[in-house]
Amino acid sequence: MDNIDTFIEKFITAVDFQEAVEITPDTILKDLPEWDSLAALGVIVLSDMEYGKTITGEHLKQVSTVNDLYQLLN
Amino acid sequence: MATSTLKNVRFAGMATCVPKHVIHNVNDVPPHLRSERERLVRNIGIETRRVCPDWQCFSDLAYDAADKLLNDLQWSRDEVDALIVVTQSPDYLVPATAIILQDRLGLAHSTIAFDVNLGCSSYPFALQIMGSMIASGAIKKGLILLGDRSSYKHKDPLKDPLFSDAGTATALEYKEGAPPMYFDLNSDGSGYKAIIVPVGGHRNPFQLEHGIARKGDDGFWRSDLDLILDGPAVISFSTQRVPPMVEKLLGYANIAKDEIDYFIFHQANRMINETIRKKLGLPEDKVPSTLREFGNTSGASLPVTVTVRLRDQLAAGKQRLLLCGFGVGLSWGGAIVDVEDAIFPQLIIS
Repeated sequence: MDNIDTFIEKFITAVDFQEAVEITPDTILKDLPEWDSLAALGVIVLSDMEYGKTITGEHLKQVSTVNDLYQLLN
Repeated sequence: MATSTLKNVRFAGMATCVPKHVIHNVNDVPPHLRSERERLVRNIGIETRRVCPDWQCFSDLAYDAADKLLNDLQWSRDEVDALIVVTQSPDYLVPATAIILQDRLGLAHSTIAFDVNLGCSSYPFALQIMGSMIASGAIKKGLILLGDRSSYKHKDPLKDPLFSDAGTATALEYKEGAPPMYFDLNSDGSGYKAIIVPVGGHRNPFQLEHGIARKGDDGFWRSDLDLILDGPAVISFSTQRVPPMVEKLLGYANIAKDEIDYFIFHQANRMINETIRKKLGLPEDKVPSTLREFGNTSGASLPVTVTVRLRDQLAAGKQRLLLCGFGVGLSWGGAIVDVEDAIFPQLIIS
């Protein structure tokens, strides 16, 4: 498993933000400008391809912060 | 019986027809939405789509494809023993579109004609159904008319960035000693809600209030007549189920990946297609794509891709294709087909 900084870099690529955003482990996903259905697809693919873990839309609804997501994939 | 082999069935030809009207996913939206659209296009990989005007149905595109293919094959109309229409965009709920097209194409009254209700996964299923009738010796020549007018569900064509329209025709015929076709076909109805038009059938008959659009949590206006697509469910299904199915089919046929000349996948979106390709470890040049120009044309995306990307290669000599469809149902399947000296007219634009 990557450390959280590496995970955050991959997360930023997966969500494909239009403008640079600062993300910390405590960032709340819903507060991000592009936390939408496309971002969800990006994170599902990231989880599958980088961490070998299958997550669903339901999993994503249950996590609040970037760190929660990191823990889910850990 | 998910896997099967058909013998003595020859792939004789394929024609593809798309509507004239092109919608650009970025340039045709209002300027204030373009940056958001550019992000979407980067990720789904679809720049332009072909969309039918109000008057044009899937069957009009399929008619043009079939007419051209029959002429180029030099098949007389009364030689066609069976006509199978595979669509989720029939002309009417009743009767079947295939029977209307039997008459419109001038085929004989002795033609077996019926519809099959499958979408994105349909191409390998259609080859298996028609191929089985031919392999049994019951019929000699068959025509599959397959495709959808997927864009109609959205009155505002700018709202939906994925779907595009196409009609296609595929000809199969009986030939002693033709190379075998291999299939692996699957269904999982527990996922039926992942891609659904919830109203208009017998479970929820249409009532006037169903036509009224309401604003959803995502800010888009939709009515109950619109297609609902659960993106996360579809991406999980596609990327989990398709790669093992392809491996299973290759194992069943005892064919190695490098013995397949081209892998043609349903064109869903770039994220899904790239994930499937990477999971299978396939090089980009063996996996042709038409997503950028033609979008997601449901089951027709396989013939669209073969017609647009592989005509020259197919004219040059024998090619072994692995054709794979997946989606609404949920339903997924693959076919391995050797194609040689078949007729492939240029893309028809109608």
